[in-house]
Amino acid sequence: MQAMLERWTGCLLIASAMLATTGVADDATRSPDSPPSSFAEQVDLEPLGTSAVLIEGRLKSLGSHAASTMHLITGPRGIAGQSALFTYLDMIIRPEEYAKSDVIYVKNKEVRRRIADVAVAADASLAERLEVSRRTGLFSPEVLGRPEVESVLQVLEADLVRTARPVGEIRGALFLSNPRILLERLRLLPDALPDAPWIGLDEVVLPEVKEVSGAVTGDGDGRVPAESASEIRAAWMQLLDGWQSGDVAATNAAVASLASAVRTVRPEAHPAESRLRWEHWYFEWDNLTSIWLVYLASVIVLMVAVVYRWPWAMRIGLGVFVVALALQTFAVGLRWYVAARWPNSNMFEAVTTASWFGAVAAILFEAWVRRTALRGFFALGAAVACMVALMSAHFLPVYLNPNISNMMPVLHDVWLYIHTNVIIFSYCLIFMAAVTSAIYLGHRLLGGVPAYARAGGTGMLLATTGAVGGGGGIAAGRTGPSFGEVLDGVTMVLMELSFVMLWAGLVMGAIWADHSWGRPWGWDPKEVFALETFIVFLILVHVRWRVRDKGFWTAILAIAGAAVMLFNWIVVNFVITGLHSYA
Amino acid sequence: MTALHPTPPRSIVGLLAGGLLDLFSSVRFGISMLAILFVYMAVGSAGVLYPIHPNLFHPDAWVHAQLRQWRPFEMTEFEWFHWWPFDLLMILICANIAVTTVRRIPFRPVNYGVWMIHSGILILVVGSFIYFSTKVEGDAPVIRRQVVARWTGEGATGGAVSVAAVPGNRVELPTPDGAWALEVVDVDPNWEILSGDAKGERGYSVSVMVDRPDGTRFIRQAIAGHPDLTEDLLFTSDTTQPVKRAVKETGTPLVEDALSLDLAYRSQDWFYLRNEIEKSWAIYLRPVGASAWIERPIEDLPLYNDYLADRSWVFPIEGQPPLPIDPIDLPVPAVAEDDPLRGTDLRVTGYLRYAVERTRLVAGGPGDPLNPIAFMTISSERGEESKYELEALDPVKRRDDGGLLVFRSISSEEELAPFLEPPVLRFSIPSQEFVAEIPVRSVLLAQEEQGFADLGDTGYAYRVVAVQDEIPLSSGVASIAIIEIRTPDARILRRWVFDDARLTRDVAPDGSGPIHSAPTLLDDAIIATYRPGTGLALIKLVAGPEPNRLRLLNTIGSERPEVLEIAPGRAVEVPGGLTVLVTQYLPKAKVERKPWIVPPSQRDRDAGNHFAMIRVEAPGMEPRWLRFHQYAFEGPQDQLRRFRFEPQRIALSDGREVELLFSRQRLPLPAEIALEEFVLTAHVGGFTGESGTIRNWTSLIRFRDQQGWTDPMPVSVNDPVEHGGLSFFQAQWDPPDPARAEGERASRGLNYTVLGVGNRHGIVTQLAGCTISVMGMLYAFYLKPVIRRRQLEQAAKVATSSPRREHAMTGATT
Repeated sequence: MQAMLERWTGCLLIASAMLATTGVADDATRSPDSPPSSFAEQVDLEPLGTSAVLIEGRLKSLGSHAASTMHLITGPRGIAGQSALFTYLDMIIRPEEYAKSDVIYVKNKEVRRRIADVAVAADASLAERLEVSRRTGLFSPEVLGRPEVESVLQVLEADLVRTARPVGEIRGALFLSNPRILLERLRLLPDALPDAPWIGLDEVVLPEVKEVSGAVTGDGDGRVPAESASEIRAAWMQLLDGWQSGDVAATNAAVASLASAVRTVRPEAHPAESRLRWEHWYFEWDNLTSIWLVYLASVIVLMVAVVYRWPWAMRIGLGVFVVALALQTFAVGLRWYVAARWPNSNMFEAVTTASWFGAVAAILFEAWVRRTALRGFFALGAAVACMVALMSAHFLPVYLNPNISNMMPVLHDVWLYIHTNVIIFSYCLIFMAAVTSAIYLGHRLLGGVPAYARAGGTGMLLATTGAVGGGGGIAAGRTGPSFGEVLDGVTMVLMELSFVMLWAGLVMGAIWADHSWGRPWGWDPKEVFALETFIVFLILVHVRWRVRDKGFWTAILAIAGAAVMLFNWIVVNFVITGLHSYA
Repeated sequence: MTALHPTPPRSIVGLLAGGLLDLFSSVRFGISMLAILFVYMAVGSAGVLYPIHPNLFHPDAWVHAQLRQWRPFEMTEFEWFHWWPFDLLMILICANIAVTTVRRIPFRPVNYGVWMIHSGILILVVGSFIYFSTKVEGDAPVIRRQVVARWTGEGATGGAVSVAAVPGNRVELPTPDGAWALEVVDVDPNWEILSGDAKGERGYSVSVMVDRPDGTRFIRQAIAGHPDLTEDLLFTSDTTQPVKRAVKETGTPLVEDALSLDLAYRSQDWFYLRNEIEKSWAIYLRPVGASAWIERPIEDLPLYNDYLADRSWVFPIEGQPPLPIDPIDLPVPAVAEDDPLRGTDLRVTGYLRYAVERTRLVAGGPGDPLNPIAFMTISSERGEESKYELEALDPVKRRDDGGLLVFRSISSEEELAPFLEPPVLRFSIPSQEFVAEIPVRSVLLAQEEQGFADLGDTGYAYRVVAVQDEIPLSSGVASIAIIEIRTPDARILRRWVFDDARLTRDVAPDGSGPIHSAPTLLDDAIIATYRPGTGLALIKLVAGPEPNRLRLLNTIGSERPEVLEIAPGRAVEVPGGLTVLVTQYLPKAKVERKPWIVPPSQRDRDAGNHFAMIRVEAPGMEPRWLRFHQYAFEGPQDQLRRFRFEPQRIALSDGREVELLFSRQRLPLPAEIALEEFVLTAHVGGFTGESGTIRNWTSLIRFRDQQGWTDPMPVSVNDPVEHGGLSFFQAQWDPPDPARAEGERASRGLNYTVLGVGNRHGIVTQLAGCTISVMGMLYAFYLKPVIRRRQLEQAAKVATSSPRREHAMTGATT
């Protein structure tokens, strides 16, 4: 049986290696359809990228603002391998380059199909190009502006249930891609009044279009001092000249001058430069979601370790896991720092932070069980959970939008930090229990005996670690638990903890809802399916008490509980609207 | 032992009781109940997915539906989870928990955890029973201020009128001179006070337009808490400053001392029950002229599906399957003593979930009056097509495309003759015996930049500036040619030459002048008349005199109209590559107004009940469709933006007249509520209209108790206030709202708040149950193993000293 298990593990490892390759390869497809120009590669936009911009009530780095704006226009894909900030500025300075380029992202596949069909019917020469658009979702403003496409968009817009929203997103993207709007949204200049919105660059560099009292003249009522306005205008003109002529040195100098000039406007209003620099870096590095590759490495090695019981593999696997956790801790901490709040207010943050909680819990468990047969299993479960979470964040940015924005008013409450963290932690534990359960079922499928942890999860921990009463515990006199027993024990440890935390989290959510919405329980779909998850575990607890093959049914129900939890997190969040739709 | 002492036979009741006890002691039974509960909850919350196509892999093979919304159920989530099957499940589960715990789980330290979990859940269920069975939840809109106006001058009666301080709201103030119209034109919750002791502070300012019966008007501005700063603003002819403070113009801040205008609280006495929690429909009634509404609750009215007894009640939906016939007939009896229709059997006989009222023109019967309507299209060779709907008897709707397309109706053949004549200007100068008739169309076509044309040798010259045919006037319809006349003494007169010579007048060359006063001719030596003939219309459709006869008068490319007999559905080609097609002609069209059910794909998900309608009937009354109202405002002067107020006035055969309004049930608040202030807190940079810039909303509210108004209490998101057994929480706010139509007033928002209102009975019990169960879980999962392990270790120690005791202990614990 062990040999069979080892063979299957070998297959799994090969599959994992292929997954890693696919991940890298897929990452490559997100790069440009055409390679970046040398100008795009050489121009240094960091001084501007680390400048502050005030958008929707949040002071953020221009780099992250460009990333979130481009997310709305071009979707998750970069354009021609350029940075988001480069594309942002290029769209302002050379709009003609983008008018016929495929830069507007259409998320909905049905809408893509309808647009492509109608455009090809009107002009067959577009067939080949639009075949690519159907796949990538990127269309050019020119195609989207064709009369026949506009007609079909109007028809789709009338369907409020299915297609109105994606069409609204297309119109929003077209509006945002207007160079004038992009320039207006470069709100880099603090107003003279402390509580007023910041001033867009257009008001200073395009005085002939929009005259702002004082912005140009610098008189007493001016919102931007005349001297700064003059410097900004000069730097902008220099930037235009350098950019349009492809002069890297002149462009870099202009970028530096412009960044320096905007900081002279009410310098005390600008946030700390270090925070902006980190924020810019964080978005440049794709929100550090590539850490999933490190977790993948730890999954491979830990798998080898728990199956082949090679001590060196265990040490390496745990070492890699610790490195991955350290990197993820840095990522979570960095997001906390740049967002100035604990990251758990949107789907991206909930998924990545939940997995981080699981990894931290796994490390604590591993420290506890370091001299027992349970070693490595918690880390393995957490590594899989973190890998899946970070892969989701990395490959599905359309759904897990990484942008940082202000929280809704209802989220400004201490219970956000208590209830939400407890719930998402329990969700991660549930997922980890599903991982060990899946391994258990695989083990059984390959002929493993129906073993189970007789003393339950915590009981087994106490037995194997001798945490109470000293000595080697009751297992001291035995040869050690079997593989199935260990897997079932780990599942039960995770299940017991998640059971308590899920219930406590539900209660905490009810307390918050009581003073926020005026009722502790509203039968909202999110609430109902969190309770459904708990009911599955209630059934598990009682079924385990009754059935003979406890390990098998525990594994089945743990996976069922995880499925309900994932349904709650995915289907309820994205399909069924409710009071928790923002979470 | 059994053989020696046989169990005595048990009665049927005993057997039944024993069987029931065994059943409720069964863990399997409990697991089954939990599994059923799981399915019940999943179906109620997420709905069901079922195939409608034999190929299950077809993209449209599966349909998702909310089972609880189907016709047999018609339940909200709250109702589904308080339906008897759910209650029964909970009773069975609770009985199972209680019996199993008592019969099968010994009350020993190792089992304390399970006992705590089970008892905690039972306590939670008891608390939930109290909570949900007494649950009341709704919302109450509270307006920040109202404007109270009084006439204090001569003939004052002391009576006052009030209007909510919401831009666009109006009221009339009776005075001895007639009614003064008051309209709130602006509310600025953040007005910077520019004078007085409070200079520099921010105040709540309300500006009211005052229209006096003599046609003069001014604006009065009042600032809450600063009656001394009330002042009037006057309109001036100065284009650089069209509005000036009265104090600067007249030396006094008020131009009309007799008008008293104050800002006062507009308290709220009611809260409206939430329909999405539990269906709480109601019809409100009042006699015409009364202000207070009387409520009649509607029981068993559905929520999610359409209910009709006759498809002709509504307009059909194109492209949709025919509506199912599913009639309802719900009596809505009076419950109040002062119900104005007490004794009248009011019934609801139809319900539409999402519909709008539409007006359509349909063919009338032989007895209906003449009302020719033509639907037509004009298409060009390039494939462009324009659609038109023309009404011959309506002076406005009979024309389109700036008067180039006209539809007329004639009752005799003689009436056609003028239409066949070209438009002509006739000049006569009697002193010189000069008469000339000049076709206008050719003049206009050649008019571009041309100068004056001499009228023979009279010394007069003219040029045509513009021609407008069939302009609707208050006195009827008139056609006009606007010309300029150069007199022999080189004066330039602008003359409006009407087809009715009595209206012809001269105005100043810039167009100004006494247009509405009696006609004046600055030079009556020259007389001009305009005979429109077929006018400037290029295509004129003429109906009659026979009922179904249609003729097309085409003047494209010719001076005199070409007459073509046409018929609906038969295309006619006219010069210029145009094709004219009358698609439908209704000689006796009549207007029909009915609900139109909005197709599901066009429904706004967030609309709630906003588009719901009911059909009401009563003896002696024509059936009526009533649109849903979120709130039963007393009158249009109390209406809030974004909420409708369209009560239906009905007359019964016995002469009684009442108003009806369809809304939600309401309950009295424990105390009147007033809104002192509404504060919007924003993130850095202030509120810009984007939701992301909002940090919080706070309503500062006051309750009126026996001592008067309480101090302001802040109600903000996550921070409710308790009063009179109800909790009040921040539910909605009034965002800025631009004017959407001409004459509509823009709003800066923050004119009112909507408070959520609800009770919370049983909350403490629920919390106690939850806490006990959480503690029980911690005990059962983390303390019990320690206790058991210590017991085992203890047993092992004892066993080491006594082998017989070890055996006994092992047997007891396995």
